[in-house]
Amino acid sequence: MTIKINGESKTLDRTALTLAELLVINKVESPDVVTVQINGKFLERSLFGTTRIQAGDEVDFLYYLGGGGGR
Amino acid sequence: MKGFTTKAIHGSLQKKDPHGSLRVPVYDSVAFEFEQATDMQQAFEGRRLAHSYTRISNPTVAEFEDRVRLLAEAAGVIAVSSGMAAIANVVLALAEAGSHVVTSKFLFGNTYSLFEQTLKPWGLAVSYVDMTQLAELKAALNEKTRAVFLETITNPQLQVADIRAVTQVARAHGVPVIVDGTMTTPWLFKSKDFGVAVEVISSTKCMSGGATSVGGLIIDNGTFDWKQNPKVRPWVEKCGPRALLVFLRREIYRNLGACLAPHNAYLQTAGLETMALRMQKSCENALQIARWLSQSPKVSRVHYPGLESSPYYAIARSQFSGGFGSLLNFHLTSRKACFALMDQCQIVRRATNIHDNKTLILHPASTIFCEYSLAEKSHMEVTDDLLRLSVGIEDVEDIIEDLAQAMENL
Repeated sequence: MTIKINGESKTLDRTALTLAELLVINKVESPDVVTVQINGKFLERSLFGTTRIQAGDEVDFLYYLGGGGGR
Repeated sequence: MKGFTTKAIHGSLQKKDPHGSLRVPVYDSVAFEFEQATDMQQAFEGRRLAHSYTRISNPTVAEFEDRVRLLAEAAGVIAVSSGMAAIANVVLALAEAGSHVVTSKFLFGNTYSLFEQTLKPWGLAVSYVDMTQLAELKAALNEKTRAVFLETITNPQLQVADIRAVTQVARAHGVPVIVDGTMTTPWLFKSKDFGVAVEVISSTKCMSGGATSVGGLIIDNGTFDWKQNPKVRPWVEKCGPRALLVFLRREIYRNLGACLAPHNAYLQTAGLETMALRMQKSCENALQIARWLSQSPKVSRVHYPGLESSPYYAIARSQFSGGFGSLLNFHLTSRKACFALMDQCQIVRRATNIHDNKTLILHPASTIFCEYSLAEKSHMEVTDDLLRLSVGIEDVEDIIEDLAQAMENL
């Protein structure tokens, strides 16, 4: 299936997978602290294991570490 | 990886050092470079995990934050420049002018000063209650209350409230509980399991490995629905369930500038690795000394939650795992007697700190609480005949022998 991850198109060699599996497949950095948005909606961490990714989904992995720093 | 000290030593094992260093180095750099402009844009948008500027985040500080997060089993941690900075950041994030905070009437002197002298003139209303009296807490809560604040073991009174009961009362009103867990740390008290929303810690104390550096921690346990707080709510809508951490990182903490120095983070990460061993020893020492002081004819009263005679023994035993802390207090006959004992101490040092490796003694009324009126001190039960002993990790026989010789001529 093809989905968008952080704005970039990505084709996955899978027909079905959960968000928790996507975190592993996509080698998402610091999965314990990442914030996830699917199609603009934030997901609670407790739902990562049961949320199924669908073709065409727009998935964003967010960290909010930086932002408005140095002079 | 389940063990407390195993987690403290190894952390998340996320990134391998390019040189194979077993310690995360001190990244004493202000700014961090990006390969491309789009990488920089993504970092600023929050779409890339990257450090840009050390006032906001830094790799050495992030390693310390991550290890504490693992130990607390929390949603996230922000390390700051001191324990007071941790309290100030959280209160400024949750409350605004015209709003209200309920706090224990027993507070560390500087925390009381923060509420009473710094924040009140900016329009924050503060109610001081006895947290062991839930009726007092319930009566103080109102529609403008933004937080309930208390210390896990109050300093210096050593009162221990039923924290689960406090959080239940506050949550029924949609109010988060902030605890200052400096005296307990996640080794003695897992605040998440008691419904606490945010824990603040002075990492200067148990974590720094023997008073090596000043630092503080803000721990969001991830147990509170931040939509209930009017200031954090817009951040929930904008940034999701980690809203408080993002609000702090992208506004309050960033703008106040109270970041932890990378060198201090390095020292405190090293300190964290041996914290359980040190706390176990200091707690054992404190219990032995408290028992010994209780038998002394020169001492009228001893306060220590680990003594079975303490009114807080039962709740402390049920809430804390592994001990009762390393702070104890005792009463002599007067300030003069307190000073005489202090001046005779050889091994026990006269200094204002707690959870040092060294045992420290202090007269609270003439030091930490010297700026307060007699009425205020009386309200906080800081009397002129009270001494505070922060028990270290020395051989306990030597501490007892030192205190015994110092008491001889009283």
